[in-house]
Amino acid sequence: MIYAKRRKRMSTQEHNAPIDLESGKYVKIWQGPQHPGITGNMALELVLNGDEVVDCKTHVGYLHRGFEKLMERRTFIQNFPIVCRIAVPEPTFNEYLYAAAVEELAGIESPQRAQWLRTLNLELMRLASYLMWLGGIGASFGQATIYQWTVTHRDYVLDLFEEMTGARVYHMYIVPGGVRAGLPEGFEDRARAVLDGVERLLNEIEKVLFKNVVFKARAKGLGIISKEMVDPYGIVGPNARAAGFTRDLRRDEPYLVYDQLDFDVVTGTESDAYARAKVRHQEMREGIRMMRQILEQMPTDGPFQAKMPNVLHWEVPAGETYVKAECTRGEYGYYLVTDGSQYLRRVHVRGPSYTHAIAVMEKLAVGTNIADIAGLMVSLHTYPPEIER
Amino acid sequence: MNSVDEILDFAIEREQAAADFYQDLAERASSAWMKDMLLSFSKEEMRHKGKLKSVKKGEKLLSSEQQVQDLKISDYLVDVEPAGDISLQDAMIVAMKREKAAYRLYSDLASKVDDPDVKDLFLGLAQEEAKHKLYFETQYDDQILRDN
Amino acid sequence: MSLKDLISPFYVWQRAFEKPYTQKHPIQERPGAPRYRGFHVNVLEECVGCGTCETICQNHAIDMVQVEGLEPKPGDSGLRPKFDYGRCCWCALCVDICTTRSLRMSNHYAWITEDPTDFNFIAGADNMSWNGEEYGYRRDDDYHLLRGERVKMEMLAPEEGLKSFEEVMKGYTEEQAKDEADRCVECGLCVATCPAHMSIPDYIKTVREGDYEKGLRILYETNPFSSTCGRICTHRCEEVCPVGHQGEPLAIRWLKRAIVDRVPRERYREILGDEVVENGKQVAIVGAGPGGLSAAYYLRRQGYGVTVFEAQARAGGMLRYGVPSYRLPDNQLDKDIEYIRSLGVEVRFNTCIGREVQFAELIDDYDAVFMAIGLNVPSSLRVKGEDHPRVLSGLQVLDDVASDKNPGVGKNVAVIGGGNVAMDAARVSRRMGANVTVLYRRRIADMPADPEEIHESQAEGCTFVTQAIPVEIKDADNPDQVTIVWGEAEMVADEKGGRPRPVLQEDRMHEETYDCIISAIGQGGSLDFIPGDYRDQIEFKWGKFVPGDYQQTALQKLFVGGDIANNTADAISAIEDGHHAARGIHKFLTGELVA
Repeated sequence: MIYAKRRKRMSTQEHNAPIDLESGKYVKIWQGPQHPGITGNMALELVLNGDEVVDCKTHVGYLHRGFEKLMERRTFIQNFPIVCRIAVPEPTFNEYLYAAAVEELAGIESPQRAQWLRTLNLELMRLASYLMWLGGIGASFGQATIYQWTVTHRDYVLDLFEEMTGARVYHMYIVPGGVRAGLPEGFEDRARAVLDGVERLLNEIEKVLFKNVVFKARAKGLGIISKEMVDPYGIVGPNARAAGFTRDLRRDEPYLVYDQLDFDVVTGTESDAYARAKVRHQEMREGIRMMRQILEQMPTDGPFQAKMPNVLHWEVPAGETYVKAECTRGEYGYYLVTDGSQYLRRVHVRGPSYTHAIAVMEKLAVGTNIADIAGLMVSLHTYPPEIER
Repeated sequence: MNSVDEILDFAIEREQAAADFYQDLAERASSAWMKDMLLSFSKEEMRHKGKLKSVKKGEKLLSSEQQVQDLKISDYLVDVEPAGDISLQDAMIVAMKREKAAYRLYSDLASKVDDPDVKDLFLGLAQEEAKHKLYFETQYDDQILRDN
Repeated sequence: MSLKDLISPFYVWQRAFEKPYTQKHPIQERPGAPRYRGFHVNVLEECVGCGTCETICQNHAIDMVQVEGLEPKPGDSGLRPKFDYGRCCWCALCVDICTTRSLRMSNHYAWITEDPTDFNFIAGADNMSWNGEEYGYRRDDDYHLLRGERVKMEMLAPEEGLKSFEEVMKGYTEEQAKDEADRCVECGLCVATCPAHMSIPDYIKTVREGDYEKGLRILYETNPFSSTCGRICTHRCEEVCPVGHQGEPLAIRWLKRAIVDRVPRERYREILGDEVVENGKQVAIVGAGPGGLSAAYYLRRQGYGVTVFEAQARAGGMLRYGVPSYRLPDNQLDKDIEYIRSLGVEVRFNTCIGREVQFAELIDDYDAVFMAIGLNVPSSLRVKGEDHPRVLSGLQVLDDVASDKNPGVGKNVAVIGGGNVAMDAARVSRRMGANVTVLYRRRIADMPADPEEIHESQAEGCTFVTQAIPVEIKDADNPDQVTIVWGEAEMVADEKGGRPRPVLQEDRMHEETYDCIISAIGQGGSLDFIPGDYRDQIEFKWGKFVPGDYQQTALQKLFVGGDIANNTADAISAIEDGHHAARGIHKFLTGELVA
């Protein structure tokens, strides 16, 4: 019914015909940079024919803070409080990748315990980030209650971060060489309680959101990414997995202690907004499973910091490296070049939002109903701050 | 010698005599720097004299109950003959021993009188001398026994 | 669409009856987690103002500022960090790197104030509501941004060391030196404390960079006895090194040595670029010790003709005759002295003022005179029986050894004293095969000797008997032996804040017999050569000169320095006195200095 109608309209749209704005057939509107339906600070320049989007141009640049350049003017230790700010909802992946890249270039190996703590930190981060996203996808389809629930539980995860790292949002916990502290006393039990709570919440959301007729009606068939699109568009992470690709760096090229954890790579088939939501929903359960294993298996004593040179005049040998990790949106990468001095020669941060929010969005938006643009964008899970480092 | 004024006059005279002693020694000293040193000792005694003069005018003397620390440094040192070519170390030994002798004198006198006021005065003077000795002992400890 | 899908969303209603998550701030306060990074706290008394927090802050949110009522003192700049919360990002790198661990954070969440300038505050000094809160971010015990452990230097095993006079400390390898130099935080507290104000962080940097030539140039700006000081300096710099608060201080002395050890003496002139252009004025220097020769070096560089009068047969003063070669090998002392002499400094050996040359002649014949004659008259015990032939002076023993004479200490030796001379006399005796007991009036912690010397003496098997006051020396049954009577001491505090004083306990006396007793209780100077007529022009105190500005005396031509004119009595102070006097003499002779 509704889906079929939309499908039909999309197929009849003449994509390549030039759009004559003077013809009176079209309306041009801007969604963003300040708009509740936009994740972060970017703008979509939409051309509408009725309520159907016939052209989409993305505009970024509202959030440029020049991190990559700032980092060239700071010492290796001074950079670690900066990197977390590159992707606001997921600082930890930046911390880990920066630390891992510097360690590789400096020939430092972080101790086992640090690796477990880092994995725990990253998975908690994934959970917090997904919780926020889940609220976002609910809200963008008119289900604001979901947002209230998930943000509440995200706050419980942030409580754990506060205990573990000393901060709720910018944790600055993973440093080159290891981590800054072990777990506080009794943390494991409190973490398990939070995980239990989130798991219950996921069951409820299953009922309230995924079985919800409205959500199904709007999300199914929305923004389908075809299998053929995945590689040319550089689509990664859950967006690729929902299209049936079993790709996950944690399994394909294990880092930290992922090779010691038992987890499944979740995939979908439909590759629409609903399928992507479902994949993420299921991945949260996998994450919780992993964290339970970590809390069980991780060593509780031993060093969590490698032997370090004096950070005040730390010179890293000349070299270059690219390190990557699976963040909530897929492959997140850091490319570092050093020249043997106390400063980075160049750093390039490559987040998956770059393609997902620009090229992919521009393609998928065409033919979509204007009311679903917000939902479509959220379903791609993009973070403008990581586009503009 | 039994009035308070008489006793103080006696003590003042003794300080003057001590000052004269160092003055005389300084004049005989062969080197410039020892002359300087001995004159400073003489000055120190004149300071003590001034202190006693103001006691005579009504200033309080050290209470006889207050015990001044005795470092006992001078007790086991050999006696020194004051001469023109006296060394710094020997001059200080002389000074310590002279203060110790003065302390003994007043202590003895105190034990020989019955009047509690006079007794108290002698004991107070003894403590004053003990203080002077402590000064020289401390200097000796710091200057001569540097490494000990 | 199934009916279930329609009904399912109504599941939300069940939540309506749950307890709300939110808290009613500010009625309900939620405390931060124990390690929450809240607002800065600084324990002012523990902070030494090294400014490492300021250095590491990538936001420039920290300024080191003066705090009312806090005075700079050795090892404390008197400055404290002031935070600008308009810049701070709460990364707490400052807390992590704090050398004393005085900088912390409270776990306070919120701070509301009407005045934005309030957000610029001196932690610990300004009265903040969170000061003294129990919890908050601290550096974890197992987390370090600075390395506390010093790089160990290879040294002769004590049993090996006892067999010879070979140098005990072997010096750092290039890699070790770099590793040690890496620990420096470049705060400069050491510069303020070093009597010669050497540019310590700068030369440590040259070690890190491996640029020893530059290092040598930096050393010679303030110290022409770098090879010597790299071995036996009293290193007060290390006592104030802030890295020492949470670990071992930097081995600043060894790093100085690391530079000098890597530059051959033949290349000094070329590297230092010292050119002498004679200016025609003549300066006499009395004493070829570190003070005198340091003055000679800096004067010569400015073109003065320099003549040094030395009573002994060799140059070096106490460094030559008072420091045994296992601490300072002769060739290392020679390295320093030879370079100074190579600039054209004339040294007249075996020339004593008052004997070969008269004081008045110096004053008349030269444009200026610098006196650094040192302290070379041993204080004597002055106890009964001291003139016993088996009572030796520590200085004499060291002098004999330095001159290849056998002091004949015997098999059982008691050394009296706790200074470096006492330690050296003890270690020299150990090397001659004696059992050594060190008697000291105070406690080991009060000893004026270098801690390393005390430690090495103990490692080499010297027995320490502390709080022991010698009271009498007696003949022993065997005429080749001597008996000492000593009493135990109790320590009493000095009322005026001086060092604690030992007081003899007459009821606890001991008697021991030894083959000899080496007395090393201190030294004095002899100023007998100065005629009485100069008394009004020169100020003395306790047997020493009292110098004025630029080490000058009221007798304008006369400048004084070294042990005979300061109270620290160590090589580095003498070197600085010499350097300072050289500056003063130059100013005096160019008319800049008007006394």
